[in-house]
Amino acid sequence: MSDHDALWVYAVTRPDAAAEPMEGVAGGPVRLVNVADLAAMVSPVDLAEFGEEPLRRNLERLPWLEATARAHHQVITEMSRTSAVVPMRLATVYRTEAALVRMLVARAADFNAVLARTGHCSEWGVKAYLSAPRSAEPAAAEPAAARSGQGTGGRSSGGPGSGADYLKRRRAQLAADQEARHSVAASAEGLHAELCAVAEAAALHRPQDPQLSGIRAHMIMNATYLVDDRRREQFTGTANRTAELDSSVRVEITGPWPPYSFATTGPGP
Amino acid sequence: MTEAARRDPAIRQEPIALVDLLDRVLAGGVVVAGEVTLTIADVDMVTISVRALVTSVSALAGQQTEQF
Amino acid sequence: MVGDSAERPLPAARRIGADPESVERGLVCLVLTVVELLRQLMERQALRRVEVGDLTEAKIDEIGRTLMALEARMAELRDHFGLDPADLNIDLGPLGTLLPTDAS
Repeated sequence: MSDHDALWVYAVTRPDAAAEPMEGVAGGPVRLVNVADLAAMVSPVDLAEFGEEPLRRNLERLPWLEATARAHHQVITEMSRTSAVVPMRLATVYRTEAALVRMLVARAADFNAVLARTGHCSEWGVKAYLSAPRSAEPAAAEPAAARSGQGTGGRSSGGPGSGADYLKRRRAQLAADQEARHSVAASAEGLHAELCAVAEAAALHRPQDPQLSGIRAHMIMNATYLVDDRRREQFTGTANRTAELDSSVRVEITGPWPPYSFATTGPGP
Repeated sequence: MTEAARRDPAIRQEPIALVDLLDRVLAGGVVVAGEVTLTIADVDMVTISVRALVTSVSALAGQQTEQF
Repeated sequence: MVGDSAERPLPAARRIGADPESVERGLVCLVLTVVELLRQLMERQALRRVEVGDLTEAKIDEIGRTLMALEARMAELRDHFGLDPADLNIDLGPLGTLLPTDAS
């Protein structure tokens, strides 16, 4: 290891984890650093690109971030095919192997606890979208009706009672909207409850930003589940079945993922 | 994960969406320390705060023009 | 039913540049969003007031026609700037969005 090399850490696994040679972030070869019954998966990276300052700058460049995130994920995923892994957060870099070893010694109990809890599980992402408008009719009728009652200027010159009619329509529309929102929430809650019954753990997240995901449809649920690998078919089957029962909801399943979202090791963020 | 599991039709075979990936690698995984400022005497670790990054990626997505 | 993510994607690079046109557009969105928020608040308040039942028919009619005109004006402004109703919203992060996202 040259003076300029630091260690990028992918995940923590067991020392007997078998893996074919892999290239990781920045093309460096992945190897294991063994400490007692734990092993950190690492590869060398150049401080010129991965030191604190360059790393901060690079993480803000989306193409670099994407390439690095995918390389990071690829290594973790490969190992997870055959061994239990505890993924590290992106951009965990150690200047020296000695420091990494110290950390593994200090946090050994935490890592072992996470491995015990998640080692036989995978993470699954379930997102639900509205697949069809629920109250399209009244909304579509509304603007046309409003404009037909509209005069030429800013003030309405609709006939007597047109204002009262308008208010009636608006009240009905708002009630319908609220009904639709309750219905949507109930769908999401129902799906989540069904899936929780099959999962070891679950986490609900905010719906994804449409600008990031590029998806226009209204997201009503964004959840991740920790699922025992022996219950995998039961889980995906439950998700598909529950989705089929509600034609207004479209369900998207991603997985299996290494247990990124369930790797917390006790006190911390 | 077994071979049989990977052939499960319920499992999406498409490339992983960046937003799904970033949600996990930036906000998930183990964090072994908070932000650590490197000092000359004790420079053993670099960790970048990615919390701010998660909320700012939406702005970044609109800025991927010149920084190559 | 299990779907796929084959929705039409938004333009990949919706540039938030610093050119005058997009700055102006950003400001317009912001202003119209706030106006829309006020319109919705006034509308809800008016509906509650009407429900209380102590207004004359003429007064109710006047309130309704005013709100109707306001809504039409908002639609004109949106059309003028080429904005969808969905464009008028502000994401407050953990607090969610300023206006309710349309579930329909």
